Amino acid sequence: MSITQSTDTAGTKQDHVRRRDRNGTMAATSVLYAVLIALAIVYIFPFLVQVATSFKSETEAAQSPVSLVPQVWTTAAYRGLFAHSDFPVWFKNSAIVTVCVTLGRVFFDSLAGYALARLHFRGRGVIYAGLIAVMSVPGVVLLIPKFLVLNQVGIYDSYTGMIVPLLTDAAGVFIMKNFFESVPISVEEQARIDGAGTFRVFWSIVLPMSRPALMTIIILSFQGSWNELSHFIVSTQSPALTTLTKGVASLASGQLGGPTQYPLKLAAAALMTVPVAVMFFIFQRRIMNTTEGAVKG
Amino acid sequence: MQKDTMQKGLAVRILSGAAAFTTVLALSACGSGFGGNATSTGSGTAGGGGGLTSSSSALTVMIGSSGNAETNAVKSAVADWSKSSGTKATVIAASNLDQQLAQGFAAKKPADVFYLSTGSLAGYAANGSLLAYGDQLKDTSDFYPTLVKSFTYNNKLYCAPKDFSTLQLVINTDMWKAAGLTDSDYPKTWDQLEAVSKKLTTGKQTGLVVSGQYERLGAFMVEAGGNLMNADSTQATANSAANVQALTYAKKLLTDGAMKFAADTGASWGGEALGKGLAAMTIEGNWITGGMQSDYPNIKYKVVPLPSGPKGQGTLEFTNCWGIAADSPNQAAALKLVEQLTTKSDQLGFAKAFGVMPSIQSAADSWKQAYPQLAPFMDAAAYAQGVPAAKGSAAVVSDLDSKLGSLAKSDPKTLLDETQKNLQALLK
Amino acid sequence: MSANAVRSRSGIHGHETASGWLFTGPVLFLLGLFLVIPVLMALWVSFSDWGGRGSPFSAGVHFIGFDNYSKLLAGGGLAEQDFGTSLRNNAWYVVLVVPLQTALSLFLAVLVNRAVLRGRGFFRTAFYFPSVTSSVAITVLWLFLFSSTGSVNKLLSYIGITGPNWFNEPSGILHDLLGVFGVQNGPAFLTGGTFLGISWWDWLAGPSVAMSAYIIMGIFTTSGTFMLLFIAALQNLDRDVTEAAMVDGANGWQRFWQVTLPQLRPTLFTVLTLGLIGCWQVFDQIYTGTQGAPDKTTLTPAYLSYQAAFQDQGWGQGAAIAFILFVIIVFFTLFQRWVLRERKVSRRKMRPYLSVGTGSSGVPAGAAAAGQPPTPDGERQ
Repeated sequence: MSITQSTDTAGTKQDHVRRRDRNGTMAATSVLYAVLIALAIVYIFPFLVQVATSFKSETEAAQSPVSLVPQVWTTAAYRGLFAHSDFPVWFKNSAIVTVCVTLGRVFFDSLAGYALARLHFRGRGVIYAGLIAVMSVPGVVLLIPKFLVLNQVGIYDSYTGMIVPLLTDAAGVFIMKNFFESVPISVEEQARIDGAGTFRVFWSIVLPMSRPALMTIIILSFQGSWNELSHFIVSTQSPALTTLTKGVASLASGQLGGPTQYPLKLAAAALMTVPVAVMFFIFQRRIMNTTEGAVKG
Repeated sequence: MQKDTMQKGLAVRILSGAAAFTTVLALSACGSGFGGNATSTGSGTAGGGGGLTSSSSALTVMIGSSGNAETNAVKSAVADWSKSSGTKATVIAASNLDQQLAQGFAAKKPADVFYLSTGSLAGYAANGSLLAYGDQLKDTSDFYPTLVKSFTYNNKLYCAPKDFSTLQLVINTDMWKAAGLTDSDYPKTWDQLEAVSKKLTTGKQTGLVVSGQYERLGAFMVEAGGNLMNADSTQATANSAANVQALTYAKKLLTDGAMKFAADTGASWGGEALGKGLAAMTIEGNWITGGMQSDYPNIKYKVVPLPSGPKGQGTLEFTNCWGIAADSPNQAAALKLVEQLTTKSDQLGFAKAFGVMPSIQSAADSWKQAYPQLAPFMDAAAYAQGVPAAKGSAAVVSDLDSKLGSLAKSDPKTLLDETQKNLQALLK
Repeated sequence: MSANAVRSRSGIHGHETASGWLFTGPVLFLLGLFLVIPVLMALWVSFSDWGGRGSPFSAGVHFIGFDNYSKLLAGGGLAEQDFGTSLRNNAWYVVLVVPLQTALSLFLAVLVNRAVLRGRGFFRTAFYFPSVTSSVAITVLWLFLFSSTGSVNKLLSYIGITGPNWFNEPSGILHDLLGVFGVQNGPAFLTGGTFLGISWWDWLAGPSVAMSAYIIMGIFTTSGTFMLLFIAALQNLDRDVTEAAMVDGANGWQRFWQVTLPQLRPTLFTVLTLGLIGCWQVFDQIYTGTQGAPDKTTLTPAYLSYQAAFQDQGWGQGAAIAFILFVIIVFFTLFQRWVLRERKVSRRKMRPYLSVGTGSSGVPAGAAAAGQPPTPDGERQ
């Protein structure tokens, strides 16, 4: 699935129109680019400031908050971060949860999506309607009750409690369902006729063909679980299970001994963004195309 | 066909197995969730005469720390006890003590030992989260009677007071001298405070910087003869004329430029403002010594008594105790830890690290001898008053705090009328 | 072949029921356990007096009817006031963020769509990147940028403006604006009456300066995602319609408003719905940043629900707040759907076109210039 090219549909009338006001178009184009570049600077500048400030001393950060090059490069913020907080523990926890949730979602969402797309069984419509209803429940309503359920089931304050509730999401099921519906059914039919069971067809034939959609699920769940905060607030309380989001949030509310240490906090925020950013830059084409695909579907 | 039937049978078997598993899980979960202790509501002690729980599990100690100095001091004291008693214990510095305690109580996985403030006692005691171990302490006669009173609820002493602090005026001596002021110029009245503060306000430094909250401005209220509630926290006196007078005075200081709130100077508390040279004076408690020592060691400061208000000297007193959770699996060890932490030697150790005053009377003299420069804090014990302790008052006070931030633009009487209404709603 | 196929197909579909349920089983189980049951449990807690210890289903917990709800909506005390304040703050957030982010993302999409291919990728990346970062990281960054000695104030000082102490300034921007014109206190009829514990004058205070910083952050982080949706929609536009409009002499501006925008209605609807649902649930940023301060002007219902339950041990009240918020979100979504619905074209407006034949793409001749969106066939009168 590639980006739709927006080439002219090459009618002579359009060429004629275009040639007639080329000068106007040139001016318009330069204005367009000027505006775009200005906006792009506005969007990129904060992150550049963030990285630059993380290498400044505290006093310099307060005195020259706009300069992108520190007068004195110092890694004091990063050293302080690793010396005085549990940053490595947070990173480890985030990584564990993200990997498990991503793998789980890939498996369960594709299973359910396949069932809804291809299998004909009684209750399919009800499940479909139910998933839509579930997607409309706003997350805020679940803050308190999830805490209660985690306690009832006994998985509060454990990795299980952090991972299992995040394992499925209705949106992922829909993405997989939409994708499977667009796959030609002939290959599957052939395999069935040859005697393969349903799971076999799913696992060995359909799933390998669905790499684009799986990549989408992987990217979305990685991003979603890495950046998740409220679920970790309600599902854990012990410091050994703190994730990056919760840890950096507690840093931000200033519990590392009082003074507002901006370089340290910005360093923490920058480090926590790195994995998602890397994922983003590698797979950006896929991400951009997914949203377009979502609209089409 | 045979394969189909076999697969069908297999699928059905897996499906029914999954259903059965789910049902079993759900049933057991409903039963065993939330600790499963049938007699969970109530006072917390399982019968009279020392029915404390005991196990080999490690203890968690949760504190609301004022800074690195306090955290390190508590950590080392607990570690020492751990070594000598053989029970493991970890100290957690909470980023939001109330929230983390509440979450732990609700999940029945609370911290075993924790800081408990006078304001929070009533709420937690009422819903049975606390162990009332006052009667199990070896010797409660050494604690200051007023402190014991603050932690008694329903005629039961719930916890051992761990220390107490008062507010006084802390002055940067270098800035004081630079403004041409001497020892005789320490403000003794409200007007003198204003005058001195104006003199000290030059350039980037403001004469007086305090955190804009009741926990500091309340000192003025006591000096005017008022306070948010009466001594027993049974009556709301928030909108008394004395309080209005006090806040009007504070407002005047703000509008005249003699005083600024810490948040407006970019500091998170008065101590930081003092340490960063943004303030010449601040109103803070004993804990400032620890903060200054560890974060701003180059600032020379002096502690003097707050000026007297219309009704004489007055200030606020803060005290916390060591709470023990009713759901703690190892209450016996927790009690022993608390007994150790309230001994003279441990308390003087805390005093050394972050300047608090011991809660036992026998340590008072040693403390005064060791820290003559902090004498004003100890002397304030004679005229200090505590913060409201009624159930739910913490929320009302924090609501007042959020409004005090804009005191310069608000009407003190309106603020206090609101607070009065909210406090009275609690007492119904 | 057909006989075999029929037999195989019925054989296949026979045990598809079991497979179907088995495949969707995990998803159903997890969603049921962690979505459906929690909602029901929270509903019970909101109608009970559970104090925060032990199971909410234990013997000591009683049904108290609508007590929690009435305390929030008509109690007259701190609870009602806090709830009203949070609603006001969030309402202003929604009122400002949703239109602005929609407009900005549409604007960006239009611009990026016009750019040359190579540049387009770069610009798309630049505008979408903030949406990828976590709200915690962005809030920490914002706390620095908008601090009293931060980058924003420094940049403002370059053009001679002294910026406020953003996250510590509780005054509402509308009030500030009126204050510039000398209006200090509201008229009596506004300051007299109250709704949910806040005077009408305070309801109209606008977002506080601190909340405005969050508003800017909200627009910054979500405009990229919606820009992508608009770009996709723009690239799926029917070129024939645009050509027909150009032929009829409509200029760029008219083309945009009369031809392009109406065709974007489904995407617009999606963006507005997602925006509404998201904006009413502001929590992460407040938790990380100001926790409701200054002066409770950044308190939102989602954060208040959390605070009431997890901090003040008012679990029933926290649950009640969450459900009231649920109702509000559903209401606004339905309301917005009703406002943006495809309306039947009135007879009077349709008359000029009923006699004229339709063009090849189903659009009545001159429809573009006349300003009617090309309506689907079913709605023609």
